[in-house]
This record gives sequence, C-alpha cells and structure tokens, in this order.
Amino acid sequence: MKKLVAYITTGYEDNDFTLDLIAALKEAGTDALELGIPFSDPVADGPVIEEANLKALQKGFKMQQLFDLSTEATKLIDTYWMGYFNSFYAKGFENIAQIASERGVKGFIIPDLPFEETLRYKPVMENSGLSQISFVAPTDSKERIAKVVKDAKGFIYLVAYTGITGSGTAAPLETIIGEVKTCSDTPLYVGFGVNEQTAKERAKGVDGVIVGSAFVKVLLDESLTKTQKIANISTMARNIKELINE
Amino acid sequence: MCYIPQKSKYDPDELGHFGIFGGRYVPETLMPILEELDKRYREYRFDEEFWKEVDYYYKDYVGRPSPLYFAKNISEELGAKIYFKREDLNHTGAHKVNNVIAQGLLAKKLGKHKIIAETGAGQHGVATATVAALLGLECTIFMGAKDVARQELNVFRMKLLGAKVVAVESGSKTLKDAMNDAIRYWVTNARDTFYVIGTVAGPHPYPQMVRDFQAIIGYEAREQILQKEGELPDYVLACIGGGSNAIGMFSHFLEDEKVQCVGVEAGGLGVSTQKHGASLEKGRPGVLHGQMSYLLQDEDGQVLEAHSISAGLDYPGIGPEHAFLRDENVVKYDNITDEEAMKAFVWVSQKEGIIPAFETSHALAYLKKIEDIRGKTVIVNISGRGDKDMIQAKELLDFN
Repeated sequence: MKKLVAYITTGYEDNDFTLDLIAALKEAGTDALELGIPFSDPVADGPVIEEANLKALQKGFKMQQLFDLSTEATKLIDTYWMGYFNSFYAKGFENIAQIASERGVKGFIIPDLPFEETLRYKPVMENSGLSQISFVAPTDSKERIAKVVKDAKGFIYLVAYTGITGSGTAAPLETIIGEVKTCSDTPLYVGFGVNEQTAKERAKGVDGVIVGSAFVKVLLDESLTKTQKIANISTMARNIKELINE
Repeated sequence: MCYIPQKSKYDPDELGHFGIFGGRYVPETLMPILEELDKRYREYRFDEEFWKEVDYYYKDYVGRPSPLYFAKNISEELGAKIYFKREDLNHTGAHKVNNVIAQGLLAKKLGKHKIIAETGAGQHGVATATVAALLGLECTIFMGAKDVARQELNVFRMKLLGAKVVAVESGSKTLKDAMNDAIRYWVTNARDTFYVIGTVAGPHPYPQMVRDFQAIIGYEAREQILQKEGELPDYVLACIGGGSNAIGMFSHFLEDEKVQCVGVEAGGLGVSTQKHGASLEKGRPGVLHGQMSYLLQDEDGQVLEAHSISAGLDYPGIGPEHAFLRDENVVKYDNITDEEAMKAFVWVSQKEGIIPAFETSHALAYLKKIEDIRGKTVIVNISGRGDKDMIQAKELLDFN
C-alpha cells in the first residue's frame, strides 16, 4: 500500500482545530504528518504555503505552540517537523532535537539544509533517535544521489520538479527513481505539486506521496467554516490515498 | 599586467565555510547548480585570459583605476591625511559594477544567457541591467513593491536599459523579499538562468567570488597609497550593508598588522532601538538566503526587518566573511546613526565638493569617531555617489 504524507502549517489555526484536522486526516488514511513551522522567509515555498506561514506569524505563532501540538499529535500519527533551518538553529539544534524526541517526533524535514550541512548534526540526530529526511531533486547527478541517500532514514523526499511548492509540472522521474532505488531501500516519497489531479501519475514507481499546498489552500479559504475545512481536506486525503493505490 | 586574485588565508574551506559561517543552505535543487558554478569558478579564478577580459571592461567601460584622491580640506580640519578611494566615479556611480561585469562574463562562459538579480534601492539592479545590455543578456530584476514605488527613477532606468522589473508583493515588500523571490525564480529556472548576487552574501561560492570581483578596489588602493605616501595607511574605512565594497577594499590590507580596517554598519535610529541595520552589533548567528552569518532575528529565529536611511544598508543580514573577521578580531566593526550619516553627507559635500551616497556617508561620519586620528593616514572607500539620494535628501534637508 502506497503511503500518504500530509503537510499542515502549524499555528494557522489554534491547536484544538489542528488536532481535529489531524484526527480526520488519519481517519481518511493519511499515514504520516508534516507539521510545518511558520518562518518569515520561506524560500522553498510557493504563494499558498508562504501565505499560511505569514498568517500564522501574524496570529502570533511561537515555537511553544509547535511543542504543545506535537505532544498530542504524535499520539495520533507519525509526526515530522518541517521547517527552515533557522527555526531549528535559533533554539539550539541539540536542544530542539531533545524537545522533539521527548514529544515522540519521528524526524526533521529541513528543505534549506542540504546533505553537506546535515553531517555535523548527525550525532545529535542519532542520539535523539530522530531521522533527518534526505532530499533528492531532478537536478541531481547519479553520483550525488548515491551520496545523499546512502544513509537515508525515515523516508526519502523526491522533489517532483525544479521549483517551489504547489506549482510546476513534474519532470519525467523514472530515471531518477531508478537511481534512488538502486542506492537505497528507504521508502521514496514524491512531493511538490501533488493534488487530486496529479497524485496517480506522480505515485508511479514510488512508495508514497506528500501533499501540502492542496490541503493548505483549503485551510486558507475564508469562505469555509472550520468544520467544512476539515471535511473538505479529509475527503481530498481519502481520494488521493485511493488514487495512488489504484 | 592586470589584477588577478590570489589565494588568501581568509579563503573559505571547500564547502564555503568561514569558520562556522558561510556554507550552502539552499534547497537540494540548487546544490548541483552551485557545485557546477564553484567548479567552473575555480577554473577561472586564476585564469589570465578571463581576468584580461574583465580588465578590459574595468578600464574602458567602468573607467578604472578609480583615483585615490587626497581630501585636502577635510585632512586640514582633522589634522590627518584623508584619502578617498573614488568608486563613486565608476560608470553607474558605485562599486557595484565591478562585480556585475565579472559575473556577467562568467554567466556567458557558463552558457547562460538569462540573468536575474535582486535589488533594494535599485543600484545593483541598474548595474545588472547595464551589464546585461552591454553583454547581450536577458535580464530580470526582482525588487520589493515598496521599493518600486519609492525608487521610481531607478525602475525607469532599469527598464530603459532593457530589463524586466518584477515588483515583489510578498512579506515586507523590500530587499529581503526581493531576494526571497529571486531565489524562488532561480530554483525554478536554474538550468538556464544565472543569479547575479549583488553582495558578498548567499550560498558558496558567491561570498568568495564577489569578494574576488570587488578586490580590485583594495588592489588599486594599496598600490596608490604606497605611491603617494610611501607607506601603508593606519585606517581603512568602509560602510557595510551586505559588505561587498568593504571586503573588496579590506582584502588587500587584512594581513598588515599596521592597518586597522573598520567596517561601519547602519545604526539607524540607534542600536538601542529596534530600528537599525546593525547585524554584527545586535544580531546573532543564523541562516538566511543560503548562508550562515550574523542575522537580526527574534528568539524563535524569525527574521526581523532592518532600518536605515540608506536603502543599501537596510538589510537584516551581512556577508559571512565579515561575521568571521569580526569573531576573529581581524576587522573592527562599529555603527553610525542616520543622523550622523546625514551630517557627514552635508559636511563632505560642502568641504570637498563630493556628494557621497547615503551609504558612504556612514563611513565618512566615522572619521569623526576616531579619537586618535591626528597625524594618521586614512583611506575611506567612497563606495558610491549621492545622485540617487537627491530626492530623499531634498525632503530631509533645508538650506533656506
């Protein structure tokens, strides 16, 4: 069965709402959760997630809210923290790894921390039992893929196209998927631009998909009530889970 | 013989680290692009043919070498020997063009015919649009929507030169956000687009590369001062936003015990307020725009907005080499407020008949803060001319 990972921006709504949403996502077949850490300068994200980031900050998001939410979220579903490196570094990397570990978080997904810069934090991650998620991009050479995924833990995040989240058309990925698969047995999930229209196509040859902007777009829709937002997102999750396993 | 960079003990390591600073903090998509750029730059860094080509444009297009002018009136007033390195006399009016010419030539060698750049007040944007016209490159400039409205003339100038200007509507709609959107565009189009970064910041190899491209300033200044004075100066001063004019000037004096290099940050309304651009003084190490360096940020690592009267210093970060030189006590760093800078702006205009840029006025104001200046020899890098600041100056000053 192929997996579905859902990205949700923390702090866009209060933690009670987000926990209800997480429970609904789980119920709809979601296998793992990325809790996004709002950041002032999210350069890997497109307009949808950027807007959610800035709105969460305007609502007064603080890291403590992520910590509190994680204590509850990890009881429901496998949870990863997804954020920009400065959010981790500012709190002291060792310190934040310990906080994450105590709350049962599985690992970190940091899009602006490439392989070379992860090395110095490897001992901390290992001691805390956390996975540093490895990224593979369509621009990567075979040699670089081999280096990056060699010790991959948790899952490998394949970026579907050169660009930012929630946009773009996927490059042909068969070659790159093949190259990753020859180097690592760690599950390979594809992200960026995955929605109900693209999910089936993008899931070909991989072990799962990561959906972010499509869900966050619903969260940002002010014409919907909170209940409607949860209902729409969970319907979407259920559909995607079915589509990728057809 | 022309200027060719030399290996320096302040070069970063293989991955671009100056101590803990620098490095590459970018999405994976850009890593192979940066590795390729680094590899190609290593080929050209000491390549005589490449530097001959750069030198041709430096001389015949930019107007180099820029003079080292003895500022007689100010020297008399201060009882010291004050020299101005006249980067303000360069084509396009500032040091920015030194870097852009070389990056433009490099882009062509890499087979990339589209270039992008970020700009705050528009100086780097104008320099990039100029070089794009010269070298026949397609040029897109990212500029915060707020700056587009404030700097109407520079926007027109860039368009006149044939560039496309994108008004960035996200975030605070200033330089920081222009750089965010330039990076987003770059991630999407990296295969055929060269990003011309305007200062000694960003992911490796940019800080080192831009330093090499600006080091012509210090290379000339050193030769010129030895010719005029027969000895090295006591102080070398430069203003710092990202820090490219300062690194360019300092790079040829860093290993001289006798010379004290001083970098002057924007003190804005004062470093005890929230309104300044003094990243080294008030920031702490953090990651933004592909590098680790000192950064103005809150306790959660959210980046704070900077403030300075001069748009060129209005940035919450600083080049990683400066962070390193500060922690190693190689260079001294201080700051100058908006008010002190404005006084120096008028002072130098009226004493020497040279209207400096607001940015440069910060370095000039520091002359009055050097307590033991009597009898000393000082070089100030006049990084740019004040023409671009006339509208703002007219609003702030009244001579009636």
